[in-house]
Amino acid sequence: MFEPMDDVIERIARHLRRPVRVDPALDGRVMREISALPAPGGATMVGKAWRWLRRPRQFTLTPLGGLAAVAALAVALLLFRRDSTSPAPPQVASRAFQFVLVAPRAARVSLVGDFNDWDATRTPMQRTGSDALWTVVVPLEPGRYHYAFFVDGSRWLADPSAPVARDDDYGAPSSVLTVGGGGDS
Amino acid sequence: MKRALTGVTGPLLAAILVAAPAAAQQVEPRLERLDAAARPVVAALIDSARTASIPTEPLVQRALEGATKGAPEGVIVAAVRRLAVDLGRARDALGSTASPAELSAGAAALRAGASQTTLAMLRHARRESLIVPLAVLADLVSSGVPVDSAAAAVLSLARRARDADLVEFRRAVERDIALGAPPAAATAAAATASAQSVDVNAGARPQRPGRP
Repeated sequence: MFEPMDDVIERIARHLRRPVRVDPALDGRVMREISALPAPGGATMVGKAWRWLRRPRQFTLTPLGGLAAVAALAVALLLFRRDSTSPAPPQVASRAFQFVLVAPRAARVSLVGDFNDWDATRTPMQRTGSDALWTVVVPLEPGRYHYAFFVDGSRWLADPSAPVARDDDYGAPSSVLTVGGGGDS
Repeated sequence: MKRALTGVTGPLLAAILVAAPAAAQQVEPRLERLDAAARPVVAALIDSARTASIPTEPLVQRALEGATKGAPEGVIVAAVRRLAVDLGRARDALGSTASPAELSAGAAALRAGASQTTLAMLRHARRESLIVPLAVLADLVSSGVPVDSAAAAVLSLARRARDADLVEFRRAVERDIALGAPPAAATAAAATASAQSVDVNAGARPQRPGRP
């Protein structure tokens, strides 16, 4: 009923001796898999982090959570933008400057310039002492300023006691005031 | 109920990424004083200047000056554009560490006719602020002093002179020019006198603190 042991062994041996057909690309695939494996004992933090970063993941969020994340990102962008484009100006000491104009016939005089946004309503001059004398005091930081007197809401006058702004672009007369670190001009 | 991130918030995120920088560059409210045609052009020039790390306040002031003086839109835009170019050239000559006030004064000097080389030489010659030397240079050239004479005089004084000395030097030159002296000769004489620590402003009125 049973095959003799020798026959069985012979049959198994014949089976094992048969040539095996191997895929010619097998070697390449095996070598690629081997090189992709981490070196023994070489699982560094960088390697772990790199593998973690490369592994695909799927995040799920509630719509509310998504909106909150987007809002937080937008606020961060706005803050970064503001910080990067508007650095806090250095604190510099300002000094008080008195501007004087002799204008006997003027009913009202304003001082306008780079220091008050050229706003004729912001720095009205005051009659002092004599009716002809108009004055105002303005604190100024170091810099070079263009300015002019605006008389009776219609007439521009340069300061006769200051250099004329020859780089004026608009034709109306202006003067120049230069404020240095320790003196005026 | 949860949804995938890309399903709902992806497009919204993209929209925010596009819109956030635009929202951050809010239009300068003071430009409302410009007419509707000039406002967007000037705002764009100011945004470009900000991107290039050029101080924007001088540009705003130049635009507002034009608006207050009733200048036409084209004149205002041209003035702001010209100043932006000059500020950029001044920054190139004076270096990125120059203060906004120095750049404004440098732009004025360049506009008057000084060269970028002169500005760079001033930067190397003087450790202190260059606001006054640059402004004096601009004022001298504007007064008719040949640019080479003005540059040589200011450079010779800038290394040691205080701001007040430079201002007195400029006053002396302007006074002599007003009295009829040739500008170049007046500059040379005042520079020599100033370098020798001579009171170059002996005939001028006493300086009243704070008077321009």
